[in-house]
Amino acid sequence: MTSLVLAAWPDSWSREQRCSATMIAAGVVLVLFMWLLATPLAAMPEPVGPAAQQFAEGSRVTVELTLVSGLLGVLFGVLAAVGKLARFAPLRWAASFYIWAIRGTPLLVQMLFVFLALPMIAPGLALSDFNSAALALAFNVGAYNAEAIRAGILAVPKGQTEASRSLGLSPFQTFRDVVFPQSFKIALPPLVNNIVALLKDSSLAYVIGVVELSNVGNRVQAATFQPVPVFVATASIYLILTTVLTQISGAIEARLDVEQRQH
Amino acid sequence: MSHSTPQAIGAVRAPLPNPALVREPLIRAEGVNKHFGVAHVLRDVTTRFFQSEVAVIIGASGSGKSTFLRTLNRLEAHDSGRIVVDGIELNDAVTNLDAIRREVGMVFQQFNLFPHLTVLDNVTLAPRRVRGVRREEADAAAMELLTRVGLEDHAHKHPFALSGGQQQRVAIARSLAMSPRVLLFDEPTSALDPEMIGEVLDVMKDLARSGMTMIVVTHEMSFAREVGDRIVFFDHGRILQEAPPDQFFEGQQNERIRAFLGQIVH
Repeated sequence: MTSLVLAAWPDSWSREQRCSATMIAAGVVLVLFMWLLATPLAAMPEPVGPAAQQFAEGSRVTVELTLVSGLLGVLFGVLAAVGKLARFAPLRWAASFYIWAIRGTPLLVQMLFVFLALPMIAPGLALSDFNSAALALAFNVGAYNAEAIRAGILAVPKGQTEASRSLGLSPFQTFRDVVFPQSFKIALPPLVNNIVALLKDSSLAYVIGVVELSNVGNRVQAATFQPVPVFVATASIYLILTTVLTQISGAIEARLDVEQRQH
Repeated sequence: MSHSTPQAIGAVRAPLPNPALVREPLIRAEGVNKHFGVAHVLRDVTTRFFQSEVAVIIGASGSGKSTFLRTLNRLEAHDSGRIVVDGIELNDAVTNLDAIRREVGMVFQQFNLFPHLTVLDNVTLAPRRVRGVRREEADAAAMELLTRVGLEDHAHKHPFALSGGQQQRVAIARSLAMSPRVLLFDEPTSALDPEMIGEVLDVMKDLARSGMTMIVVTHEMSFAREVGDRIVFFDHGRILQEAPPDQFFEGQQNERIRAFLGQIVH
């Protein structure tokens, strides 16, 4: 799928141009899709047509949930990966504990914990259902991202750090300008896997009352008693969203692939 | 090239500089020791390096010559002894370290160019980040350096598109961009195909002629003979002998060194 869109551009375009065009096109498709989704859905027969606005609104919530928790999750992943590789032992312990606890417990429990238990522990942390879901998803995907990013950092040869340090760059500059860009490229495919999984996992927000796509689907089928068309429509929207996501990430991957290993 | 040619020869004795030209050594190593686990890789290494001198360090693999070079900009920390670079002692104080690394450039066997950056950005990264030079100025200075190493036409390529010899010339330009007071070369031609060694050595000879202070670990004996002011021979973690190249190569008395040269020089 990835190469299909990339290859659709004129032959005379450079790799960078094709990748940028793919990213822009996929972004535009995503925005148009979110904006105009209600129109084609409204044209569909019962029971989907009359619920078009609900489906469109649910999809918007799903995408928002994925974007917010996806961005936060990458940030958490970078912090935890750096923490796990830190020289300062307590940082390593904290990062390892986070990754261990999150990966060893169900996302459903984490989501319920943030929404129901966290306000009991700290009353100031009573979050809305959407914010609770976003936070739980971000913590969850962050732990998986951490492992991908850590592997990426370790895959950058030691000579890169030595060259950078011997030029006088500080440890932070070395990480930001030399190691991280290279490790991010290595970590990108597993990160994309995690984000696609996140988009699907966001359906669990249903249990704490977030009206996202799956919740809408279930409500509509409960009202119409027609689960087959309702869930086919629901699944189709998820499929379109994950496809757009992989197109964008494929383009980013190709953009970073300056050595053109994929051609 | 031999304005600071040392006079004295002998094991573990630093050569005397020409007092008219240099008084203080640029780098002083005194009784340096280094262990890797149980291996004692540097044993009481004492020597000095002077402004505009080209010192060539040779010796068998595992003799400690690369490790010693790497202690001079603290890519390896020494266990005991003192290393003083440009008046600053190398120890655990981080500010010292950053100040020294700006003055001491290093060229690696594996080039270690940054693969995600263009040739031009490889050269300008450190001046921009460390010295705060503006991009246009850094680019102009980098183009000058790339012209000097004959690669101005490749400025906008990525390192993977260059040959090994070209990559090593970029690495030299990258080090020069920080205007270091001394350049360390760690076997700069050992990873190159034979037909590319010459172009890198030519750049190094050119640098030496311009008065750059250089400390070179190499197996290129012709370079050592032609360009070196002093040969430093490492054996089992010690400096076995320091001598000007003509004395070192022609009138060599030491059996061990004769055996080493016999294996290498043809």
